[in-house]
Amino acid sequence: MKKTKLIMIVLTMVLSLAVMGCSKSTQVSNDGAFPAGKMTLYAYGQPHFRQEYYDAFLERNRDIAPEVEVEIIQTEGEADVRQKVMLSFTAGAYDDLPTAISTNPVSMQAMAESGILKDITEFLTPYSTKLVDGALEQVSFGNSYYGLPRSVRPNILFYNNEIFEEYNIDPARMSTIEGWLDVGRELKEKSNGTVFLSYIDPGSRTWRYYGRRGVMPQAGAKIWDDEGNCIIDSDPGSRLAFNTIDTLYKEELVLKSAIMQPPLYDATRANKIATYMIGAFWDEFLRKNLPDMEGKWRTLPSPMYENIGTRGAPVVMMEALIETKNNIYADLYLKYWEDFTFNNEARITWTKSMEKQNAPYPNPISLEMLNDAFWQLPSSYYGEESFRQKEGEGLQNASVNLRVTSDDIEADIIISNELERYLSGDQNMDEAISNMAKNIKSRIGTTDPVQ
Amino acid sequence: MIEKNIWQKIWQKRLMYLFISPFFLLFIVFQFFPLIYSMILSLYKWNGLGAREYVGFKNYINLFSDQMFLECLENTFFYWALSILMIIPVALIIAAVTFVISSKRIKTYQTILFLPYVSAAVSIGLVFYILFDHNAGFVNNILAAIGFERIPWLVSTKVSKFPVLFLVSWRAIPWYMLIFYSGLQSINRDLFEAAKIDGANPIQNLMNIIIPTIAPLAFFCLINLSIESFRRFAEPQILTGGGPGSSSMTLVQYLYINGFTIFKLGYASAIGYVLTFILIIVSSFQLRIMIKRSKEGV
Repeated sequence: MKKTKLIMIVLTMVLSLAVMGCSKSTQVSNDGAFPAGKMTLYAYGQPHFRQEYYDAFLERNRDIAPEVEVEIIQTEGEADVRQKVMLSFTAGAYDDLPTAISTNPVSMQAMAESGILKDITEFLTPYSTKLVDGALEQVSFGNSYYGLPRSVRPNILFYNNEIFEEYNIDPARMSTIEGWLDVGRELKEKSNGTVFLSYIDPGSRTWRYYGRRGVMPQAGAKIWDDEGNCIIDSDPGSRLAFNTIDTLYKEELVLKSAIMQPPLYDATRANKIATYMIGAFWDEFLRKNLPDMEGKWRTLPSPMYENIGTRGAPVVMMEALIETKNNIYADLYLKYWEDFTFNNEARITWTKSMEKQNAPYPNPISLEMLNDAFWQLPSSYYGEESFRQKEGEGLQNASVNLRVTSDDIEADIIISNELERYLSGDQNMDEAISNMAKNIKSRIGTTDPVQ
Repeated sequence: MIEKNIWQKIWQKRLMYLFISPFFLLFIVFQFFPLIYSMILSLYKWNGLGAREYVGFKNYINLFSDQMFLECLENTFFYWALSILMIIPVALIIAAVTFVISSKRIKTYQTILFLPYVSAAVSIGLVFYILFDHNAGFVNNILAAIGFERIPWLVSTKVSKFPVLFLVSWRAIPWYMLIFYSGLQSINRDLFEAAKIDGANPIQNLMNIIIPTIAPLAFFCLINLSIESFRRFAEPQILTGGGPGSSSMTLVQYLYINGFTIFKLGYASAIGYVLTFILIIVSSFQLRIMIKRSKEGV
């Protein structure tokens, strides 16, 4: 009998502790201030550099958030963020969910459709005229906004000025893709094949940087038609884009080496790579990995096809708010976004600090802020040229990004797989394009084209 | 006397069951439930959010027309067969050599030999990445220096599996060496003394004393290595990411991509069950041989 009583007491204690542990109090103070606690962000890339801005923002707003801290939880990538959020939601562990997450258009759509993200249309709409073109292009699903744009970064042509001076080539010739390819041929000839126009990655980054974010939007390419059918093999824009990659590779204008890896940096340092046609984010990688090349690099807006006439498509980085009753800091995060987007003084202070640390920082997306002289200041890394000004110019006459659907992650894997096989010599470009279409149709079929 | 039913028997020994219950609770929550749940999930189309769509065996049927799946299956069998051929003999030879060497520094040598196993997979993957780079890698520099062509180790679909295999072998050999070494230590030294008197050479010692004695251990290693090979993930993920294309991708990587990148949870579950089925067949085949051999030994 004693044993049974003992067991019952132990079980009752365990149960009580479990219940107490599961219940989280959400105190809201009477003076309208946000309650003490942590505003959490799941993010990828190099988000730790943003901590400085979050901390400074909270210090400036101690009247409304006297005891709030910001915690950035670094994740492996975008898929990891979605996985974490999804598992917490499926498990009903709403207390574990963060205030906001970094995400991309595909995952944003999937999560918005499932009711995980907060609809911020009412908040964001008044700002639509105050932001740079394309800022709100990829943050919507259906007729609502779910993403807070943090940066809108264009595709840019980085070129090694020393190489162009050595071989007496005018960089202005690279204003078109056709001109860029011609420059590559001339460099190859003049250097006896030791200088390459650019690089090509044997892995998935070729599709990401040369394809989806590169020549595909510039060529007006389409993976899906308006009914959601795969048309990658019949669309003339896609053909044009893939033929450009084919020319680069077949004519040996590019060094086959993985991007963001030491061997490519070594080749770059040895003046073997003349240009990089890539997103503006590459600035961070150049400065960080090739500080000894300071003064050698210059930039141009990314080249455009002669017959199409639009430059590279911008990439929007965004955060989204989690839609739960427990998201007590959602409004505070919106205030943070307003501060980050429109507080010029705070942004300049933070940018200067990032510059000192050789850390990443994007241009502002506020049109008003971009007019400030600070965002046109010269940069010693680019031979006293203003990289920030060039980044702003890169957004002009931009191409529209490829249509994003909920099946695009899988489509990207299929397309990249065939492109990698092409680069490995297993098939020619025509076969690669045909296999892309065949596999997309067999594995995905049709998609829901609604964005 | 009335025979007690199962519940009465359990109630009679409730205290004992209470003490062993934590294991069963954890097993049910973290292993048994996911096992059953993923089986159910493999019959659905679901992205982890929203409503699930019942598709029956369509996920399983689609697998066999999925070129990436078939290539991953082929790669997994390649890693399994080749790693057994590379790891078991080399581990045995190193264990035998360290066993027969009588040196004061033997512990130091063993520690050095064991280092690859305890090294972090990510850092070693990066080192191998640099070693096997096409343009500047140490391996290709050596090949070029002795007059061979540079091999596109990590960028060719034809050879990308080999650096992964080298990395797998390099990391796994020390572990199996340790198992073999512990087995060798259990051999009665008198046998070697007797063989020495009979004039046996090291090869005869290996064939007639060492291998027969540690045969059961070798089968354990074989089964263990087979299971590990079919669950291979870290090495190809770090070194090649499964590429170029899916030329070096394993089934577990493909499962991961489907489950946690594309979020096709039903499809990923079906891959998991195909993998489980293969493991059961391979392991039971090996176990049958082992049992047969042990009976013959008796």
